[in-house]
Amino acid sequence: MITLDDRLLDAHARDDRTGLIALYAEAADTAQDIDAACFYLTHAYVFALEKDDPATEVLYQRLKAEGRV
Amino acid sequence: MAKDIPMDTLDAVRQPVETAHGLPNAHYTDPEVFDLEKHAVLSSSWAGLAVTADVPEVGDAKPVEFLGIPLLLVRDRQGQVRVFQNICRHRGMILVAEPRKIEGAIRCPYHSWCYSTEGNLVSTPHVGGAGHNTHEAIDKSVLGLVEVRSHIWFSTIFINIDGTAAPFEEVHADLLARWAEFDQPMYHGGIDSSFTLDVATNWKLAVENYCESYHLPWVHPGLNSYSRLEDHYNIIEMGRYSGQGTLVYRQLTGMDGITFPDFADLSAQWDTGGEYITVYPNVLLGVQRDHAFVIVLEPQSHNKSVEHVHLFYAAEKTDEALRQKNAIQWKSVFEEDIFVVEGMQKGRAAPGFDGGRFSPAMDGPTHCFHDWVAGKIAAYDTVQ
Repeated sequence: MITLDDRLLDAHARDDRTGLIALYAEAADTAQDIDAACFYLTHAYVFALEKDDPATEVLYQRLKAEGRV
Repeated sequence: MAKDIPMDTLDAVRQPVETAHGLPNAHYTDPEVFDLEKHAVLSSSWAGLAVTADVPEVGDAKPVEFLGIPLLLVRDRQGQVRVFQNICRHRGMILVAEPRKIEGAIRCPYHSWCYSTEGNLVSTPHVGGAGHNTHEAIDKSVLGLVEVRSHIWFSTIFINIDGTAAPFEEVHADLLARWAEFDQPMYHGGIDSSFTLDVATNWKLAVENYCESYHLPWVHPGLNSYSRLEDHYNIIEMGRYSGQGTLVYRQLTGMDGITFPDFADLSAQWDTGGEYITVYPNVLLGVQRDHAFVIVLEPQSHNKSVEHVHLFYAAEKTDEALRQKNAIQWKSVFEEDIFVVEGMQKGRAAPGFDGGRFSPAMDGPTHCFHDWVAGKIAAYDTVQ
């Protein structure tokens, strides 16, 4: 079974930064606690910023709601 | 003042052309004097760094090193070309290692601090701990990219590293006025219209050679049939700029007599005229009715330089074959100069050479440059 971690590592290996945005957001959505979720959201947000991805603002607002930006 | 360079040897430079000597050997052979000139001449002036065509589109970013300083050319979201220090304000990591397109933010590869193309720090991930992206000690508003003072003229990016130069338009008012007719759109000819030449010489020797027409009959014999020595004139503006002009510029023609389109609204002077002027310290410019060129001299060490040559035209699209012919022709001319600038560099190892003398009739533009360099060093010494 291919895990989310496998998919993340694969995306990193291919330097698929667009793919990393969605994968880190998925990691945030399935995290066990808010700190872990914000860690993964941060990664998703930073890669989205870099790519000027449409998800940038939504990710920012999620972090802002938790007081993390 | 660099050791062993008594001021009186520079006094010998700052004499009238009839009696002046050239700059002493150390200005070409001594790494310490090269270091002095880095500050006194290059960093304190508006030095040429690159051309705007190096970052043609919004988001383009290109790392450039100048005097060992890591810089970054960026065309920001508003289309403005900016020059930043190419380092993250966090730990000084190089931000952009290769030319690329910035789609959104400039992300540092080390800790992912992100900057806008305008240089603003927009994100500091995990700076307050994992998942905490702020910290009260880190004020993003004061940690943006360090912008280097820059000015665009003649499609060229000029920078003032130390921030002390008077505004570009003030320093170069006379030259801007002289070439006001060429203050119009000019288009880089593209990949086939730029090339570099590595020369084993101090950058100043490339300027000195470019300034004068005295060497043309011997070094560029191909010109003798249509551009004789007497068809050239000196351009000497003490303390400002120098170069030479020709009265007999001939347009390049291609198949079926095709020529390049002319720049718009030029006066009759430019029908057969061309001028070749150095923007002190390190940018060599040439203008003719149908094309212009920019040579940015990159000083790498006291005895190594790179000439970055770019050709520009009056129209966005020009005949490809003719453009290539023109680039080959100019490259051939500039390659003919290599042995003399490298030869002068080698000659500077001769102990006791007094810097040489200047033909009052023929070397005025070169003397003008020597005098300017000596003046910059004297002014720097006064401040230290």
